[in-house]
Parts: sequence; structure tokens; C-alpha cells
Amino acid sequence: MPLVEIRNVTKEYRKGEQTITPLRDVNLDVERGDFLSLMGASGSGKSTLLNLLAGIDRPTRGEVRVNGVDITRLSRTKLAHWRAANVGYIFQLYNLIPVLTAYENVEMPLLLLPLARAERHKRVGIALEAVGLSDRADHYPRQLSGGQEQRVGIARAIVADPLLVVADEPTGDLDAETSDQIQHLLQRLNTELGTTFLMVTHDPKAAAIARRRIRLEKGELLEPEPPLQALVSRGA
Amino acid sequence: MLRFFPYLVKSLWRHRVRTGLTVSGSAVALFVFCFVGAVQEGLARLTQNRQAERSLIVFQTNRFCPSTSKLPEDYGRTIAEIPGVGDVTPIKVFMNNCRASLDLVVFHGMPPDKLRRFREMNVIDGGLQSFEQRPDAALVGQALANRRHLKVGQRFAIGEVTVHIAGIFTASSPAEENFLYTHLDFLQRTRGLNSVGTVTQFEVKLAEGADANAVSRAIDAAFHGGPVATDTRPKGVFEANAVGDLAELIGFAHYLGYACVGLVLAIVSTTALMAVQDRVREHAVLQTLGFTGLRIFGLVLSESMIVGVGGGVLGVGAALTTLGLSRLAVGTEGVTIAFTPSWTLALHGMGAALVIGVVAGMAPAWQAARADIVESLRAI
Repeated sequence: MPLVEIRNVTKEYRKGEQTITPLRDVNLDVERGDFLSLMGASGSGKSTLLNLLAGIDRPTRGEVRVNGVDITRLSRTKLAHWRAANVGYIFQLYNLIPVLTAYENVEMPLLLLPLARAERHKRVGIALEAVGLSDRADHYPRQLSGGQEQRVGIARAIVADPLLVVADEPTGDLDAETSDQIQHLLQRLNTELGTTFLMVTHDPKAAAIARRRIRLEKGELLEPEPPLQALVSRGA
Repeated sequence: MLRFFPYLVKSLWRHRVRTGLTVSGSAVALFVFCFVGAVQEGLARLTQNRQAERSLIVFQTNRFCPSTSKLPEDYGRTIAEIPGVGDVTPIKVFMNNCRASLDLVVFHGMPPDKLRRFREMNVIDGGLQSFEQRPDAALVGQALANRRHLKVGQRFAIGEVTVHIAGIFTASSPAEENFLYTHLDFLQRTRGLNSVGTVTQFEVKLAEGADANAVSRAIDAAFHGGPVATDTRPKGVFEANAVGDLAELIGFAHYLGYACVGLVLAIVSTTALMAVQDRVREHAVLQTLGFTGLRIFGLVLSESMIVGVGGGVLGVGAALTTLGLSRLAVGTEGVTIAFTPSWTLALHGMGAALVIGVVAGMAPAWQAARADIVESLRAI
């Protein structure tokens, strides 16, 4: 059974008199342990799809099943608990809590789980080591570079050992060299931890690290993604 | 919620100037709230004193100030024979000011043996014996001694009256600690007072089971048509009448207390709202991590409570310390209302601070808890 099953998902919202449909009848399966990249032009609905999968938005119609649970039917509170246990979210702009150290930022999702302090300490240590920032545990976000901040963001996303990690343009705010480092880090974590990754990106090079690439156009899913060279030549 | 305490404290510290100003504003308002409370407690203690219900004060009719009440001292013998009267003492009152004052000094001249029977006092410095042996000796209430920096062995003068301080006492009633007791005949013979044979008032202790109103009527009837007519009332009523004008002002002052609560509410609420508006995106990130709306509500409410209670600790603490050290009292016509710190005051003050923290945080917490995650993540 696929880890993620998206069935006939449509998302609509109203903007004044107009009805916008960023997603129309989308169907998608994602296998456990897969690394999937999602590309598309601005406004194609890729972030909307990511948010539906992460359980921070709800579709107008359709089903989103993760590990057999239809998350569209969960109440607001149950959905929050579900997110805490099952989803890690990597933001484009890192979104670390500025008053907390790297250690405390990574520990934050664990505070929601019934874990003893020692267990939390162990898990945060492992997560920071996995992203190569053990020596920056006591640093505040303002004392870190963009790449280091994103590494802390990644550590925060994986620390609770979620079923699914979603990343919304994780390299969108980084220079080319740091982007490469982050891409390799995500690839390594997917391989070593076996965690399922779904990444939205504009960057064909970043998309290339995924095992499977799909494209959204005007709210509809196109798969398989055309070869990387074709995308690069189109300037996507 | 304790797990998130470091986050709460660090969030408040992030805007420390704003937090500090809010805590200070709350502290000032709660300081005033407690001070108003202390004045009201003082008045309530004076008028609701149980002991005062079993004592009567006999004074001259139509008096408006103790100095205008001049009763013949031998009235005491007649009063003592009236059924229902347990004991009676003459009192000569002399004071520095008949009007309302924050530094009222009231001399009560009483026979020493009666002083022992009528007043429950604990001499903490000096001694009752040295008071009884020296005609110009005086026992000073601790509040008055602190206010005027008086010590045993010193001489103390108000107008024509100069006394030697033989002891300092504490009493169960804080108002009593603003009085100075001296010998009746000393006060009567003091040059300028010229009141040998007359006293200001009599204090009557009722016999067991005696009806206060009936005894009052009997006393006044006994002197009706005499050289000086009397007006007798239970001590509590007498004191309430004496401070009547002040009582009205004090009654009005409780609105000042409510205004302070409203002020703190507005200050803390504004700060909580600003903190939420500054962190729309941060709260959305927390919700993305799995924080429930209820938990976000709790975090915002806890911040508001920390600010409110912080202001309470500072304001209430400062008010109680000031009240304790200053021993302030307001008095008029020889009756004083003492402002003293109390556990009730501390509890009311901290209770108000806590309620303010909760109420002020409600609307901002609700706003943060119900915010749409996706929209909030887009917020700049």
C-alpha cells in the first residue's frame, strides 16, 4: 500500500468574485521511502498540494490518505496531533524561532511528544549530528549562516522520526554552493533514514536529486516529468 | 505547559523594553489599587470592630471636635450606677489638628488603672510601671512612634503639652497604635488647656448581656436638663460619625481602585495583542510543527499571565512594603484610620493581577489560536 494516496483532490478558494482552483482532480501515490520532487510554474498549485499533504490545509473535495489515515476527516486538534507525530516540514525561509538556540529549535517538536528529557536530548543530538551541526547547538539563528539555519530546519523536520518530510523550496533562498550541500544532505537523509521526502522546487538541478519527479501545470499533475535536459533547455 | 516555560520567558525577553514597561505600568496601577484597598480596610476595621460594639462613648451634644466637648468629670460616678454599665473611664482628648490630617497626633489622658482595664496593649519598649510612676509620662503607639521617630526616654511636645515617653506599645487595632496615652490629671492641668474637673468624653464598657441602645438612652436621660447634655453612642457608630466625611471620600476612592484594574487590563491586553501580531508567522510555524490551537492559546495566555503577575508582585510588594514602613494613618476629630499591610490585601492584589493577566490575554490568545496556518505563513 502506498504511504500517500491522493484521490480526486480539488482545492478552490474565492478571491472577491473569482473562484481560483489551484488543484483540479489530482491523483497521486507516493511509496514509502520515496523521494519525490514537485515542479511547476508559480501559481501551478505545487505549494497547495504540499500543504494538503502536510495537513496544514484542507482540500475542497477529495481524499488525502497518509499511512491509511484520511487526514481530511480529522478535526483541527487531531490533525495537529497527527502532524506532530507524522510530518516534518522544511520551509524555504527556515522559520526558526529566533529566541531559541539551534538545540531548542530542534527540540521543539519533541516537546509535543511523550518523551523524557534524556530521550529528547539523545534525539536532538542525533538530528544535529545528522546535519553536521553538533558544534552549533548553543547558537541562536542570528549567529548562523543561511545554510546552517536551513540545516537546523532540516534537523527539526526529522527529529521526531516522521513518516513524511515535506520541503517547500528548501534551497530557494540559498546560494548555489550551499544549495548543493543541502540537496546532498536531503538525498543522504532519504537514503540513510528511509524517510519519505516530498520536495517542491523551481530548480531543475534540485529536482534531479529526487528518485521521482512530477510536474504540476494549471492545477493538474503531469507525470512522468520530462527529462531534466529538456527542462533546463526550456528554462523552467 | 512547564516544558515551554523557557520559550515563554525568552519570548518576553525578546521585547524586554516593551515587557518591562508593561510590567512597570501594571505595578504602578496595582500599587495604587492596594493603597486604596488599605484605606478601605482601615475604615472597615474601625467601623466593624466587634469590641467597639460592646463599648459606648459619652460626649457633649452638638460637638464637632473633641475640644468642644467638655463634660464634668463627676458624671462618671452617675454613669457607673446606671444598670448595664460594667465599667466607665473618663478620657481627656488633646490633638494637634481637628481637621482631616495624615499626621494626626492624638493624646488620650486616662487614669493609669483604667488604661490597664480598657486597652489591650503590649508594651514593646519601656514599661507600664515607669509610665504609672511619672506624672508626665506617656505611652506611644508604635505607628505614631515610627512616623515621628520617637524613642523611649525622649521628650515630645505638641503645643503646650510636653510629655516624657515611657513606653511604646502595639495593639490589636492598628488605629489604636496612632494614639498617645498620658495621665488624665496631667493633661487636665497642662497650662493652656485649663480643664481641671472636665473631660472630653467617657468610655463605657457594657455589662454582660446589656443592650447598648438602652444603656445609651439611659445615660443621656440621666443628664438631660443637667449643666451639660450628653450624646451617647456605641463606639463604632461614634467613630464612623467622626470620620463621616472621610468615609464618603474613601467610599468614592474604591472607584479609583476599579479604574486601576481597568488601566492594567488595557496595558497588558495591548502588549499581549502586539506580541501576537508580531508573531503571526511564528505561531503558524508552531502549528505546522503540531502545536494545537489550544496549546497556542495557552502559550499566549501564559505570557499575558506572567506579565500581569509580574506587575502584581512588584506593585503589591511595593505597596505592602510602603504601608508597613510608613505606618500612614489619616485622622479627623481625634479618630484615626490606619493604613496597614495585610494578607487579605496581598491576596486581593495578586488575585486581581492574575485575573487581569487571564482576561487581558483572552482575545489575543483566541486570535492566535484560530489563525489560518497557510495565510499566517505568508505573513511578513
